[in-house]
Order: sequence, then structure tokens, then C-alpha cells
Amino acid sequence: MILLSVTLAEPQHFSLWEKLLLAALVIASASLFWRRFGTVLDKILQSKKDADFSLSPLGRRVWDFVWEVICQAKVIRQRPLPGLAHAFVFWGFCAFVLVTLNHFATGFGIGFLNPGGAIGRCYFYLAAAFALACAVGILGLFVRRFFVRPRWLGQKLSYESGFIALLIFVLMVTYLASFSVADKSPAAGALWWIHTLALLIFLPIIPHTKHLHLVLSPATVFLSRGGFSRIPPLAGDEDFGLVTGKDLTRLVSLQAYSCVECGRCTEHCPAANTGKLLNPKEIILGLRNYLNEYGPASDQPLLGKYIAQEAVFQCTSCGACEFQCPVGIEHVPIIVGLRRGAVNTGAWEDDHGGKLFLALERGSNALGMSAAERDKFIQKQELPIFDGTQEYCLWLGCMGGYDPKGREIVADFARVMNYLGTTYGVLRKEKCTGDPVRRLGNDLVFQQLAEANLEALAQNKVKKIVSICPHCVRTIQEDWKEYGTPPEVEHHSEFLARHLSQLPPVQSEEKIVYHDPCYLGRYRNVYEEPRKTVERAGELVEAPRSHERSFCCGAGGGLAFLGEETGERVSHVRAEELAGTGAATVGTACPFCNSMFRDAFSEKGDGAPQLLDIAQLTARSLPPAESGSGG
Amino acid sequence: MTGVWIVLEQREGSIGRISWEALAAGQQLAAQLNLTANAVLIGSQTESLAAEVAARASGKVVRVEHPLLAAYTADGFSLALEQFFRADAPDYVVFPHTYQVRDYAPALAARLGQVLIGDVTGIGEGPVFTRQLLQGRLNGSYRHPGSGPCFISVQSGAFRAEPVAPDAAEVSVFTPVLDAAQIRTKPGTPFRDSAQTVDLGSASLIVSVGRGIKDAENLPLVQDLATALGAELAASRPICDNGWLPMERQVGSSGQTVSPKLYVAVGISGAIQHLVGMKGSQCVVAINKDPDAPIFEVADYGIVGDLFDVVPALTEAVKAAKQ
Amino acid sequence: MKIIVAIKQVPERDAQVRINAAGKWIEETDLQWAMNESDAYALEEALQLKEKGGGEVVVVSAGPERVGSTIREALAKGADRAIHIDCDDLAQRDALSVARLLAEAIKPESPDLVLTGLQSDDLGYGQTGVILAALLELPHASLLLHVEQTSTGLHVKRELEEGWFQNIELPTPAVLTIQSGGSKLRYATLMGIKRAKTKEVRRVTPAELGVPPSAVVVLDRIAQPQKQKSTQILPGSPKEAAAALVEKLKFEVRVL
Repeated sequence: MILLSVTLAEPQHFSLWEKLLLAALVIASASLFWRRFGTVLDKILQSKKDADFSLSPLGRRVWDFVWEVICQAKVIRQRPLPGLAHAFVFWGFCAFVLVTLNHFATGFGIGFLNPGGAIGRCYFYLAAAFALACAVGILGLFVRRFFVRPRWLGQKLSYESGFIALLIFVLMVTYLASFSVADKSPAAGALWWIHTLALLIFLPIIPHTKHLHLVLSPATVFLSRGGFSRIPPLAGDEDFGLVTGKDLTRLVSLQAYSCVECGRCTEHCPAANTGKLLNPKEIILGLRNYLNEYGPASDQPLLGKYIAQEAVFQCTSCGACEFQCPVGIEHVPIIVGLRRGAVNTGAWEDDHGGKLFLALERGSNALGMSAAERDKFIQKQELPIFDGTQEYCLWLGCMGGYDPKGREIVADFARVMNYLGTTYGVLRKEKCTGDPVRRLGNDLVFQQLAEANLEALAQNKVKKIVSICPHCVRTIQEDWKEYGTPPEVEHHSEFLARHLSQLPPVQSEEKIVYHDPCYLGRYRNVYEEPRKTVERAGELVEAPRSHERSFCCGAGGGLAFLGEETGERVSHVRAEELAGTGAATVGTACPFCNSMFRDAFSEKGDGAPQLLDIAQLTARSLPPAESGSGG
Repeated sequence: MTGVWIVLEQREGSIGRISWEALAAGQQLAAQLNLTANAVLIGSQTESLAAEVAARASGKVVRVEHPLLAAYTADGFSLALEQFFRADAPDYVVFPHTYQVRDYAPALAARLGQVLIGDVTGIGEGPVFTRQLLQGRLNGSYRHPGSGPCFISVQSGAFRAEPVAPDAAEVSVFTPVLDAAQIRTKPGTPFRDSAQTVDLGSASLIVSVGRGIKDAENLPLVQDLATALGAELAASRPICDNGWLPMERQVGSSGQTVSPKLYVAVGISGAIQHLVGMKGSQCVVAINKDPDAPIFEVADYGIVGDLFDVVPALTEAVKAAKQ
Repeated sequence: MKIIVAIKQVPERDAQVRINAAGKWIEETDLQWAMNESDAYALEEALQLKEKGGGEVVVVSAGPERVGSTIREALAKGADRAIHIDCDDLAQRDALSVARLLAEAIKPESPDLVLTGLQSDDLGYGQTGVILAALLELPHASLLLHVEQTSTGLHVKRELEEGWFQNIELPTPAVLTIQSGGSKLRYATLMGIKRAKTKEVRRVTPAELGVPPSAVVVLDRIAQPQKQKSTQILPGSPKEAAAALVEKLKFEVRVL
């Protein structure tokens, strides 16, 4: 009750001079803010329009906005403690919008919230609660930045961040202190002015620092392309991807200015974690620096002063950065855009990359094998040829068709389908879906492959595809859309999960650690289906990093086909992590992950865990195939 | 001057096996058509070689002899032989299908309004000449229905160079009219690229070792086989990762891509990363104790067994065969 | 330097070939086509020479309508213009007759250099370049891995058997045939393909060139080779297996 009798103290009414001074200060602060913010806004608006941008589906945008911005769900979920601290600061700011407006209005004698009135009192109490949480939050963040110092915040201490934290802290403390002083007392006046000055200093700092995200990121989240890692189509005959400033679109520029430098992307990046040059944060900041120096109309190449070509081609396109980003930056389309710029103009020269492109220009698969090898495998395995009567087209992919290990996976998956009585067939001729060239930015070869495959599928009247490769699934379903309408496609984990009840039960205590492939998890949001198959086959063990935080195997983004990595091998780091769980078996759901780990484990010799795809885990409990049953 | 004429190739004062094979092919063709088989030696100072040829030939042996033919040039050889064959048109001219022949025989044939049937692997009734098409995927049969001499070159190893009963062939000399100005190219001395850097990409024989070798200490076993064969030593990735062999000897997707005539995979299971690097090999031999190892899928010849037994035995057998 | 590159379109390496009804050639419908590999290296060599010394690269290719795609690919990789010898009678011509077509198309261009691949991946004659030199009365060198322009002409590196090489000096104009693998091929780019659309492709017919089809040698019949590649497991003790393998290496693989 005592507490309720306390009210927010207001200063005495100001003289005209004081009001004029206040007005002058407000105008100065606002114009300092605008001088920078207006420039930034100009650069964003002068950038090229995003050709494929559409506000619909609006519902999804609103939902993302509510969930990610208002609820701060992503921020909290991925870094619970600092996330919560940040959320308190954010919610504090939201609560303070009204308080701040009233604060300045009071200065001019036109306050609209009466601290004595019921509504005002309630609101100020509410704001006080938020202020307390915000003060604690900002203090926590300050301690983290200056004393805990996680390495992804960068080597250099950001004193501006410290200063901002101080300002926020002062804002909250002066607000809270105003409850403890007498109304219209000199102390109340002093607190009012300190609060005001803190605000007026804070305002122009916003657009000059990473705190620009306060203003931009709600828009960035709301306007994001939608869909995870969606690569936009090229627009017109002169669009080759991100080559110069002229190719930067509004969304890209907006995202570049929205980066809050929190380093979540860096923290989760497989390249940055294994000693490569690539740091996704630096790519975004590189774009920002480029825009600051040259602007969006420049002919200067984007790769050069601020962004290194080498870094751009170290990305596995695992999407961990994009998934983690709290302000809606879409790193993968930007990195792929920069690669497109380099590859579509021929600027990228790389022995292995060149070989891959030539293999796919001339041949059918990324491995550069003869298509006859695939035919031999189909014959040997007695896989039925798709003739339009079967339910599924079993898409082999390069790994399923040519990799000895991938073939085992296909064979076992075929056994499961045979057991279930599911009808399926493989295409006589199949080309690479174009996944590696798509991610490496070779639009010419990608288009050729997508069109040839779409035509073959249409000719064969394929309605449903099932594939053991998440890369194929993703590319067929999303990336081919640019060139036609692909058939329905699913990953074998989804198929298996649906049919598990029809398979004989298994009693096993074998510990199996499941590795989430990037293109199945983050890209397709399929986490539980493969786990169900693992749980049927043994005891599921989770890796330290799993589900949407899973760590890449190193193969994606075309990197399986590029040469030796610098620094540590991504595959080895992940393989160690999986082996470290003590599980006897590593369960995979992607033939690329499988081959990367196989390579990594081959050095361990006999001590390595066994490596099995979920199809193999499922098939091993089946009775031996009857002869002539195909597969 | 009718009949079959075989043009023999000499290199550094000796006649290679493929020329003897061409001689055999020409003699076979002559026998089939009831023609005489004669030999041509082109160059400068070929007396002793001619004697060697005469000992194995049955018809005439002609030395097309000129100082300007001492070193091979396409201009010199085609001019000289054009004059020789214009003097009296032969029915058939048979060459060994060597790099040298590929360089001048088509031009020589063209000068005479003819077309060489190159890289012949078999001669049938007619005669019909068989050669490979589409890189060995198909065989084609060729005929020469027109008039004038028919030029063919025979593939190395396609005909057995069996000695024929010598028939005291007579040796004569033909001296073409050549002028130095007619020879427009200046050939340098043949050389080998310095062997200091490993260039697996151009190696024609490779012995490659994988995890089956178990320990770096066992590497000499495989090195011995490579030495016996005259092959380069290569390895799969784990071997190089362990530092047992330098990275430049790694064959595979992250290392070298090779296309030798012979690739011997010792203790290599055949992961896709490795297969990608050696798929261009003409002949693959796999030695592995696991009969299910995927390397056997791509191998032409396989030995299922412990490499520690098989490799020394193979090294001995190769040494014995080379003596 | 004005460089002409003669390019052939051949069935794609992975294409499944079937013998046609007449048994004289393969069924060409439904076949995928690509630039002959060593011709691609010849083009690469030409583009590199142009990048170093300036000049013009003109591609010439003989064949029916479909050859257009290979010509566009060459233009996309950087050739300046093209001559398409529009003919569908290649099957009735032997190497000499095809070389005559090319020679007649090339003559009016009076190039400094004519490059072509060592041999085609389909017929594999390996003669067109050498015959072309004879018809154009130009010096030639074949099986080249490297070409360099010098003050007096050309310095080339020729491949010989068994790891031997030879350097040759020759004057220009000249005809050179290029071996695969001497340089690194550039990949085709989207930008290249788009730019290629505006480049000149001149069409000529054999009649305009005055070269009717002719053949002194004819391809009579084609057939599948009898034995298909399969793995032969050599049985027996290590010693027996080793002996059996050495036999194979000596007489079948012929590397001993």
C-alpha cells in the first residue's frame, strides 16, 4: 500500500527560456539523428528494387513479426540468458514509448499522462516494472560484453556499446528514482533533465552505431524474403547476381544496415569455427562499409576491398547464420548472390570448381562419372525403371547413383519399399539436380540441369518423387521453381516415418547418435521423422549440437567438390563431436554427410563408430529380400 | 612397285616393337592378297637398321635416305615419301600408329589424294579394316573402294610381331630431292620433364596405396612394387592426412585427378572421394582383402587377398617378367 | 593475331549410343551433343593467345542446324565470331573431304593461325588438322600441349610417347592441333552466353564453297565390340594370382 502511494515526480513547470532550450536541444538531437538516418534510408531506397518481392503472404509476415520482434522468441530461444536480458531491454523500450512521449510533453507543459490519475499511475507502475527489468538486463549485457567477453562479439571491446548501456541504465535509473523524490522538487527537475539529456544523446547515436537495428530490424524481419535461404531469381538480361553496388537490392541494403553485430552467425558458422577466412558477420558488415563508401549506384566490384572472394567461396550454405540471425538478415542468398556475381561473369577461377562446372556442362553428374556406371548399378540392383504406373519416382541423385556408400543406402531404401509393397521406379536418365552449381552461383549450368530434369520428369509423367538426398529434395522442390513446376517431392525420412508402424518391431539398446543434415533440418524443418526411425532401430542419443543448431558436415554449398580446406576440416570437427557422444553408431540422413563422416572416421580406423543411414538402420531388421523381388 | 609397303619407324637408332607389329600386319595383309610385302626405312644413315630389317622381311627393303631426314620433320618425311610413292604407286602402305605417323601420314596421304585409315585393330577379308569409334564404344569397318594406294596405320599391340622366315630381302636406297627451305619447322631435341615435382596427372603408371597398409613402416612394400613397374607412387587421402606421404601424392576429389594406363589400387576400399580422382584410368587393378570393397566394382582385374602377401609376390613376378 | 579454331560437335560423352537401322552410323535423334573435348582445348589455347597478344578468334564448324549450340558455346567462352558450314552430308565425306570444306571456308580469312583439336571423340581420325595444313599449304605441328607466340613465329611443346616432349619452332601462318589437358578449360558463364547472342555467325554451304561430298575410304558398317568391361578376379595363391596378373599386364594391358 505504501508503494501505491508513491507517484512519479514531475518537475516544476518550465519557464519559456527553459522550453526554448528544450526545443532547441530536441531539434538538434533530431536533426543529428536524421542527418545520418536520412542518408542510410536514401542508400536503401536508392538500391535496386527486389524484382520478386511481394508482401503476401501477409499473415506469415505478421506472425514472424509478432513472434520474432514482439515476443523476441528467436533471441531468447537461441541464447536464453542474454536473450532474456535483451528482451527485457526491448520490452522496456516498448513500454517507454508512451512514457517518453509524455516526458517531453511534460517539458512543454502539455503532459497527457497524469501520475496521480488512475491510468497514469497504473501505466507508470507498469513502466517501472519494465524499467527495473530493463536496468537489470542492460547491466547483465554490460557485464557479459565487458567481463565475460564471448569471442564472437569480436576481439575489440566496443566502448560505444558500453556508453549506450550506460545511457540506457541512466534512463531507467532516473525514471525509477523519480518515484522516490517529491513532486516538483529540485531533485525531480534534475532527474528530469538528466533523463532528457540521456535521451537526446541516445537518439543521434542510434543511426551512427549498430543500434540502428532498433529502428531498422523490425522492418527487416517484416520484409524478409520469406522461406529459409531463398535464392531470388535473376531479373533481366543484365542481372548476373551481386557484382557491383548496382546489383544490391533494397532488401540486401536494408539487411546490411540492420546488422546488430551480435555475432550469433559467427558463433554457429562452420567456416568461422574451423579457421577459415569466412565470417558471415563480416560479409554483412562488408556490404555496409561498401554502401557507406561507394553507395548503391557504384560500379566498384563488391568483392575486393571489403569482402574477400575466398571467404565467399568457403560457405557450406548450412544456413546456421541465417537461422540464428535475430534481425532477419538472409546471409545465404547474399553469399550465393556474391558467388553468382563472380561465377556468372567468369571472375571466379578455381581448379576444382572449374572441373565441377565442366563436368556438369558436359556430363550428367557432379562426380564426373560416366552415366553408364549408373546404368550398371540399376541393372545390378534390379531397380525397376519408372514407367508411369508406379507411385513414386525414386530419385537416385549423384551420390545414390555413383557413390558406393550412397548406393548401399538406395539399395536398403528400395528393400524397405519392396517390403512395404510400395511401387517405385527410377528414371532411365537422370541428371544432377544442380544443387552444387546452384549454391556455387553458376546459373547457366543450373538452368540447363533444372530444365533437362523437369522435361524428363514431365515426359515420364512423374507425380511424386522420393529421394535419399536432402540436397536433391531441396533443389527439386524450391530451386527448380524458377524454371517450371516440379513434382511433389519428399525425403526418405518422411516416407519412412509414415510407414514405421508397418515394419517389424526391433528390440535394441544400441546407442545411435543422429546427425541433423542442414538441408533436412534448417532447410526443410524435418527433425522428428528421422529421429523416429532411429528410435525404432535403437536408443537415440542427441549430439551436443542438434536440431536447428546442428553443425554442418562441410559438404554443402558445393564444397564437397572443391579442394582441400584451409584450417581444420569441418567434417572432422563434427565427426569428433558425434563420436564423443560414445554412441556405437552414427545415424545419418544425407549421403553427403555420410561420405564426409566416412572420410573423417577412416582415419580413426577400427575405433570409429559405425556409420549408417536411416534407411540402412531401418532395413537391417527386415527379412532377407526374396529373390526376384527387385532390390 | 606394287605390293604392300610397310614404313618402319626408328627412334634413337632402333626399331620399336610397334614397327615390327606393323611389319607383321603388312605381311599378313600381303599374304591375304597374294602381294609382296616390302619395307621402307626413312632417315639418314640407316644401313645397319636396314640390315636388321632385311633379316626379318621377305620382299624389298628400301632406305629413303637424305641428310635432311636425320631429324624427323613432318615436311621432310611427307615430301620424301611422296616422291618415293609417286615414283611407282603401291597398293597398300602400312604404318605403325605412332605419334610421329599421326603427325605426317595424313598429310602424305592427302598429297596423294588419299585418306589414311588410322589406328587399325584388325584386317578382315576384302580387305576390311577395323578401327574403334566413339572411344572404343563401337567398332567400325572401313573399305578403300577408290583407286590409288590405300594407307593404313595399325594400333600398338593389335598384331603380334612374330618373326617371319627371312627371305634374304634386298636392300636398296632411294634418295629424294629435298631442299632445306622446304622444311619449315625447326624441331628441338626430345626431352623429359624434370622429375623433381610429382606430376601424377601425366603419369602413365600409378601404384596407389590406401588404409590397408596399416602403418607408415609398411610403405616400402608398395614403393618396391612401384619401382619394379616404373610407376609413380600415390595414395588415398587418409595416408596423406597422416603425413605418411606428401599431400601432392593424394589422388581423389581433394587431391589429384589422374588418368594413367594402369592404376594399381593397393589396400584401397574405394570411397567416392577416391574414385572420382582415378576414374579416368584405362586399366584398374585392385588388391584388397575385402571381396565386397567397392574398388572391385571399377577394377578390370582384382586380387582378393592380404596385400602383405600379394604385393611382394607381384613385385617379384614383375621383376622376373622385365628381365 | 587472327586465329581460326575448327570445332566439331560430337555426341556427349555420357550419351547412350545406338546403331542406326542401316548399321552404318549411330541413331542421331534424341542424342545430346557437346563440343569435342580437344577442340575445347584448342579454343582455350586460342583465347589465351588472344588475351596475351590481342587479335581475333573466329570459330568454324561444319554440320547441320544442331551445331549452332556448340558454336554459341564457343562464342560464349570468348570467340569473336563464327562461320557455320551448314551441311548435313558429313556422313558421306571422309576426312579429306571435310578438311576441304574447312580449308575453303578458312582461306578467305587468311588467318595467322589455325587451331583444332587433336582428334574427334566420335570418329577419332585425328587427321583433320594435319590434312588441313596440307590443303592450305601451311606448316603444321600436332599433339601440342602449349603454344607460345614469339617474335619470329611460334614456339610449341609437342607430346611424344612415354613421357617425352619436344619443342618445335615454326613460322606463321601455321596449323596446330591441340592435345587435351595442356591448359585449364574455362567454364561457360551466363554473361558469356548472353553476350554471344549479339556476335556474328556467318553461314555458308558446301555448294558455295565448291566442295561436293566425296570419299576415298568409306565406313561400311559399325558394330558393338564383343567384350564389355567387367571385373576379372584372379584366383589362386598370392603367387599364382600375381603371375596371372603379370600375364595380363604384359599381353592385354601392354604396360610391361
